[in-house]
Amino acid sequence: MSIKKFIKQVKRILLLNNFEQKGKKKSLKILLEKLEARKRVLRKIPRKALTIKERKALKEEEEILSLQIKKGKKILKELQSII
Amino acid sequence: MPTLNIYKTIFIPITILLLFTALFFLNSYPNVSTILGGIALFLIGMEYMEVGFKAFSSGALESVLKKFTNTTPKAIFTGFLSTAIVQSSSLISVITVSFLSAELMGLSSAIGVIFGSNIGTTATSWLVSLFGLQIKISHYAMPMIVVGIFLPLFSKSNSWRGISSVFIGLGIIFLGISYMKEGFETLKNGIDLAQYAIAGYAGVFMYVLVGAIATVVIQSSSATMAIIITALATGQIDYTNALALAIGANVGTTVTAILGALKANENGKRLAVAHFIFNIITGLIAVAFIYQLTELVDYLAQYIGIGIDDYTMKLALFHTIFNIIGVLLVSPFISLLVKFLNTLFIAKGMNKGKPKYLDSSALVLPSTALVAIVMETKHLYTNAFDIISRGINLKKKNILSNMDLDAVIDDQYTYKAIDIDDFYQHWIKGIYGEIIDFTTKAQVSMPSEYIEELYKLKLANRDIVEAIKDTKHLQKNIFKYTISKNKYIKEQYNDIRKGLTQLLRTIESIKDSNQDEEILVLISKAKIESKRYDIISNGTLDRLIRQGLISNQMATSLMNDSDYAYNISQKLINMAQVLFIDINSDLRDFNEELTITDEEINSHIKDHL
Repeated sequence: MSIKKFIKQVKRILLLNNFEQKGKKKSLKILLEKLEARKRVLRKIPRKALTIKERKALKEEEEILSLQIKKGKKILKELQSII
Repeated sequence: MPTLNIYKTIFIPITILLLFTALFFLNSYPNVSTILGGIALFLIGMEYMEVGFKAFSSGALESVLKKFTNTTPKAIFTGFLSTAIVQSSSLISVITVSFLSAELMGLSSAIGVIFGSNIGTTATSWLVSLFGLQIKISHYAMPMIVVGIFLPLFSKSNSWRGISSVFIGLGIIFLGISYMKEGFETLKNGIDLAQYAIAGYAGVFMYVLVGAIATVVIQSSSATMAIIITALATGQIDYTNALALAIGANVGTTVTAILGALKANENGKRLAVAHFIFNIITGLIAVAFIYQLTELVDYLAQYIGIGIDDYTMKLALFHTIFNIIGVLLVSPFISLLVKFLNTLFIAKGMNKGKPKYLDSSALVLPSTALVAIVMETKHLYTNAFDIISRGINLKKKNILSNMDLDAVIDDQYTYKAIDIDDFYQHWIKGIYGEIIDFTTKAQVSMPSEYIEELYKLKLANRDIVEAIKDTKHLQKNIFKYTISKNKYIKEQYNDIRKGLTQLLRTIESIKDSNQDEEILVLISKAKIESKRYDIISNGTLDRLIRQGLISNQMATSLMNDSDYAYNISQKLINMAQVLFIDINSDLRDFNEELTITDEEINSHIKDHL
């Protein structure tokens, strides 16, 4: 067996193929969890206690988070289809 | 010791000199020639081992030294273990100095590592006594060299090449020891060096001096120890004199450290002096109590199975014991030592326009070189922050406070525009030039994944410099129109100042945050915020002109300056994305894909109109 073939076999047996993509997927999942947790925290803030300016900033942050979560989920789906 | 550079520059001449001397004595004194050849082989073997371990550990050694050195006991233990394994206190010292320069390790920890490394270096004595003399190691030398030569044929990876170098190095070291031993054995038939043994303290001082000089000349305490042990094993020197020689070798090794530190930065100097003080104190204690220590060694030897007449093993034990005693006695005073060293060498970094982190010792490893460049770029940004805030007539302390934005822009820095070119020359140009030069040197030996990071850092540096240049253009009209009688143009320029203040604050928050999701939101917010300068799209310019609120000249100035403000924002946001997102963070891979795009910003703004 040639060395290249041997390495290929080891990679296959140890499930090391797509290792990089798997690492990326894991990182993205962690990041998505963090973004969702932040969104949950923001939702719990009582709006009545805030000034108009603060309410506006909060709304903007929530919108950014929703957008990022949506984009993150799309990338995750793409990564899952590769692996 | 702490500097491999000086060792490297004299390593080759010393080895060549030894080989030539060996050739010179070949006919007249063949045994002297064998000993010298053995020493040369030993040194070459050590070099191979060091290069091999550096390639083989490929970052692991650095990670261990970075992670397990946060307390002094941990640092001492890590220093001991890593040196005992890699058999090179020089390599450990070089990594320690580079970590110290890059502020990845504090001075107390670095001193701990060096102390531990001193104990670790005694492992060579044990190896030579245990394997070098008890068994016929020359039998193992050739197979090891052959394995080392053939290993790279199976894999071209750095790790395998490293392992092969370690094999070759060990094989050559074994050969060297074997030649030294053989040389001393045959020399004994002609001259008996033992007849020059001097009894009492006179002999101790004499041999301490000889040991120190030998180490200074050979530049390796391990090689000196190997000579002492083989000479002792063949009865060429007497036991007490061998102990004194070992103390001398320990003292001599610090001379190499001091010589090397002459060209190093403050950190290198501090560490070299700490090492010097430690070895001198240890040496003095060992000399003062040499007879008591000898008794202690005899006492302990029986408990660990060392025979009463096994002098080579007893010498190895003595070498370890006096280094451990040194560490135990000096360690409680590390904090005092740190204070003393900080007073002795004051950081040159006080000078704002000079690089603080680009020490040549950091170039030894790709990871430390990269950290040094990141730290220096952050330093460059700190200086740029000062210039930009002055350029837009703001006080730095106000920007960094929680003060309301209106109050920040009201509290002006000066009444007169500053000379940004002058500030650039003094605070930026030198550091920027050094970073580019250092980057060019660093990338020569860097793997591809580091090169990509290096390229991003170069762009971040360029962004910082260009943001300053844009500030220079913006400054002129900021000073002109913020004192204008036309309240509309004044309001527009103050709005630019507010926007930039907010941006600088956001970047400070990104810099201080270690939460990926927070950084991601802050970057997106900053991008949305920078769209405020698009006064053509948002209709501000049209409204001001149509209603005749500003003159045509004011309108063109405002249009150009809004563009400069937008460019400053974009460049600083790009820079922050590279510089303030940790290289190991989950965000690093997805930052560009997840942050808000121009199209999304436009639709966001449209929704909120």
